[in-house]
Amino acid sequence: MDLLTTIANWVDKIPEQKACIHREDFLTYRQLWDRSDALAVWISTIIPNDNSPVIVYGHKQPNMLTAFFGCVKSGHAYIPIDEALPIDRILRIIGNSKCKLIISPTCLPDELVFDKSIIVCDESKKFDLSLSAIFNEFSGKRPSIERRVTLDDNYYIMYTSGSTGEPKGVQLTLGCLTSFVEWGLAEFRIQANQMFLNQVPFSFDVSFMDSYLALVSGGTVRCIDKEMIANPRELFKEFQVADDTNIWVSTPSFAEMCLIEKTFTQSMFPKLHTFLFCGEIFTNKCAQKLTDRFPQATLYNTYGPTEATVAVTSLQVNQKMIDDYSPLPVGYCKPDCVIRIIDEQGRALPDGEKGELAIVGPSVSPGYFQNPELSKKVFYVDQYQDKSFRAYKTGDAAYIQNGLVFYCGRLDFQVKLHGYRIELGDIEENLRLIAIVKNAVVLPVTKDGKCEYLTAFITLADQERANEFELISSIKKQLADRLPDYMVPRRIIFKDAMPMNPNGKVNRKKLQEELQ
Amino acid sequence: MMMSREKVLNILTRICDSKEIMSNPDVELYTKGLLDSFGTVQFIVALEEELNISVSITEIDRELWATPNKIIDYLEANYPQ
Repeated sequence: MDLLTTIANWVDKIPEQKACIHREDFLTYRQLWDRSDALAVWISTIIPNDNSPVIVYGHKQPNMLTAFFGCVKSGHAYIPIDEALPIDRILRIIGNSKCKLIISPTCLPDELVFDKSIIVCDESKKFDLSLSAIFNEFSGKRPSIERRVTLDDNYYIMYTSGSTGEPKGVQLTLGCLTSFVEWGLAEFRIQANQMFLNQVPFSFDVSFMDSYLALVSGGTVRCIDKEMIANPRELFKEFQVADDTNIWVSTPSFAEMCLIEKTFTQSMFPKLHTFLFCGEIFTNKCAQKLTDRFPQATLYNTYGPTEATVAVTSLQVNQKMIDDYSPLPVGYCKPDCVIRIIDEQGRALPDGEKGELAIVGPSVSPGYFQNPELSKKVFYVDQYQDKSFRAYKTGDAAYIQNGLVFYCGRLDFQVKLHGYRIELGDIEENLRLIAIVKNAVVLPVTKDGKCEYLTAFITLADQERANEFELISSIKKQLADRLPDYMVPRRIIFKDAMPMNPNGKVNRKKLQEELQ
Repeated sequence: MMMSREKVLNILTRICDSKEIMSNPDVELYTKGLLDSFGTVQFIVALEEELNISVSITEIDRELWATPNKIIDYLEANYPQ
């Protein structure tokens, strides 16, 4: 499949159909295509003969998609950044990516101060141009098809938590995305012109499960935004409008939140026939509730790291699966890839034996952006069906039984909290940057095998701590200036000293025991 | 089961893991970072399981529910025992 040609065919067929809806705002297929053409022509004019990645900043504005396509049509990968990200984190991504252009359908935050040589297109009128001005000025202009990103070019770069406190950019090519999309269409039996519900921000690749599967099948993406999620009253008001949803894509945590509401049933979504989940453990309890409340719907649980493009395994979760397996497996590997369970020397382990999960195939990223050293640690080349493919060691523990993959947690200090991927080391490093913090250890608090929230153990530089509550508030606030909200531990416990191992390292196990 | 001020405060103390709830029931739960969306959901589940109060998720309002005292006022007004 040629991804962009496939979408262009829908533009010809159903130009007036909505491609993306967010509240009152929407974008038709025609608008998406024409505007991104205009944008691509502009990008090629201002940074000619260049293929540096472009930052796209915003939240759920439909023109986020326009900006993505404007980039790839002019041969640039895009780096999606969500509005919820703190300034400090955005600056690190700008610095690491060495981007020359930032595009936003909204306004960049005033406090964001960066290199003046970076060209900015946003709605603030403070910078070079606005998107609407470009759409007008370049209206009707078409970029040359030769400019588009090719199969081996980066299509997007997704920044994710890094254990050293610096975010790292995962590069995904058009080939990676195409492989996912082709598989997803077949695996989830996607019909044409469906209404998809989008919950996950565009800065996480789970959001591409709805947006790209929708756009290649003439469907519509309806976006749920962070204000709705923070205010369930608003969310359920939106659901009344969204009663035409056919395909629901979210993290299991979001569905669990909705399930608290007793009227969240098939009668609220009479046309809903498919649930797609990704991003974290899908519990039997959640699967059972959804099965009971949405008798017409088919449930799929999927698994995959950002490094292997959205998802690489899928499982149709029916009553038999729920009865037979607890916890549920994450499913079968997509056919153009293979999952190998390997030992510490990288040797493949037999069926049923637990080891590290490695993915081999065209879904695998070419590596971390401008970070060959880090890439070398986890990416390698392996053979599958007599061909060489990129391979990625996930750091996930797992075993395979009759082709079914069972996830068994992490081998390192990465956790998944409500679908967000977090390196505990990232939080710890950023906590240590706060003046009053001497040392910090962050640990997950789990319930039914799933991370429920984070706890930070902290020793202070100055042992004087008059008002513990004010101190906790202040640490949380300072951390939120550096990290996204979901990385700020809910609980903070002060210690006079950290328990130590004989080798001089903090005894994390002992701290973990204190939490049980 | 009776809803009591004490029991609601206990649940909040457990979920927010802060003694501040007891010592200052007028503390701003959301702006002070004590409660987030997922914490709120845990709270609603606990109200149902422990106090038999079925609050609908659509009743959650960060203004109306800003402090422990406001939550208690709301529950007393809307779920009289």
